[in-house]
Amino acid sequence: MSVGVELRGLSKSFGDLPVVASFDLDIAPGSFLSLVGPSGCGKSTLLRIIAGLEQPSTGTVTIGGASPAELRRTKRLAMVPQQPGLLPWRTVAENARLLLQVNRRHQPADHPDPVDLLAEVGLTDFLDAYPHELSGGMIQRVALVRGFALGAPLVMMDEPFAALDEITRSEMRDLLARLLERHPATVVFVTHSISEAAYLSDRVLVFSPRPATVAADVSVELARPRPADVEDTPAFLGVCTDLRHRLHGAMR
Amino acid sequence: MSDRAPSTSHRLRVVAPVVGIIVFLSVWEAFVQWRDVRPFVLAAPSDILRYFGRAPGDFVAASLITTRHALVGFLVALVVALVVGSALVASPFAERATQPVLVLVQVAPFVAYISSIVVWLGAGDPPAYFTTALVCLPAFVFAAVSGMRSADPASRELFASVDASRWEVMWRLRLPSSMPSLFTTARYSIGLALIVAYLVEGSNFADEGLGAIGKRAAANNIGDALWATVFCMVVLGTLGLGLIALLERWLLHWHASQRTIS
Repeated sequence: MSVGVELRGLSKSFGDLPVVASFDLDIAPGSFLSLVGPSGCGKSTLLRIIAGLEQPSTGTVTIGGASPAELRRTKRLAMVPQQPGLLPWRTVAENARLLLQVNRRHQPADHPDPVDLLAEVGLTDFLDAYPHELSGGMIQRVALVRGFALGAPLVMMDEPFAALDEITRSEMRDLLARLLERHPATVVFVTHSISEAAYLSDRVLVFSPRPATVAADVSVELARPRPADVEDTPAFLGVCTDLRHRLHGAMR
Repeated sequence: MSDRAPSTSHRLRVVAPVVGIIVFLSVWEAFVQWRDVRPFVLAAPSDILRYFGRAPGDFVAASLITTRHALVGFLVALVVALVVGSALVASPFAERATQPVLVLVQVAPFVAYISSIVVWLGAGDPPAYFTTALVCLPAFVFAAVSGMRSADPASRELFASVDASRWEVMWRLRLPSSMPSLFTTARYSIGLALIVAYLVEGSNFADEGLGAIGKRAAANNIGDALWATVFCMVVLGTLGLGLIALLERWLLHWHASQRTIS
């Protein structure tokens, strides 16, 4: 179900400005990869290149043997953007169904029912509500569901929880982990939060400032499923400390 | 406090406008009586109503014709603007090329060229439809283009991430995004459409519609008749605005402009 991602000799410049330095990367099928780095280092650009929404200056992206364009064409790639981008004229249920309603020629074969997914994230009572009637956390839950409704083997998430407060953020993190247990996918996740990366990831790439280079490639060896209180364990704190040191090292 | 809230809002929504209109009409009536103004310059509201009451059927029939002229022109302009607007959104070159022409149409004094259009298209409905549509078109195109452009970039990227077709992006994203600006323009254009229809009717040989009555009244110095057409136009404009407000409440219920802050 999940797919692996291969980047070969990938780099990106905007005019003369190098944004992502040339590098190779293999992302294992079904793994959760976080991209961590200072603001403006090109993480989001890298995410958009993998999704095929931006062309690399050099190199190639292959996802399960196919190009990003092929994946988008067949709706096997789900995006959860930083700005949730819910359509204000659609209800919660209609927003959750949105991606299933466009490009209908390539309907995913066994996608989860959006209404079931909304129930999983606790929004059953809000199916007919409009986005302006929801809190920030609820809006982001709808955006999550909209992505997972495709049942896509690759999910790209660009700081989806960045605009949320600390409490909602940790709720969303747990919710995402639970969703992934039931609907496994390969995930590429951009974040600024070290604890979020440590909690969710199998692997974390720490990027240096622009042009982005991989300063550290860290495996997170915490057993799954990870309970919410894993945060209080020495092992978790160890991972966070390690990531923080590597991030500071990369920024020097 | 809470049980007084409905009566307060009722007083604001219904009573206040009625009071405003009554005060305005009374001052108007008093001014005309006091200064003995000639009817052609300014007829008193009571005289206007009396004149209207002498042949209400004629005024209603003429109002219906003017409404048809204005509404057809208005709707043609809206539909053409949506088609042209969606083409312009797709092509920045076409947009740049079309913009000066639209500005020319918008600033050209339509009153001056109405007679030319009547000579060109002949008497009757065609010149009324055509001129009304032409005059309303530029504002609608600008509203359509800027509204469609305003579609949320995050949503646009989302549509791109599943390879949505241009048509799907237009229908499901850009068109609904353009509704608020189209409604703002519609509120302004409905009055404009009525005025253009009135003026074309006045220059027309077909001799129908409120504009024709107004023209005849002006030529024969019948102030009450002239002002009776003005009265009908005001009623039509108000009904038009009311209709648009209703449509807005129905179609734009999700938009911030339709929410009252309590």
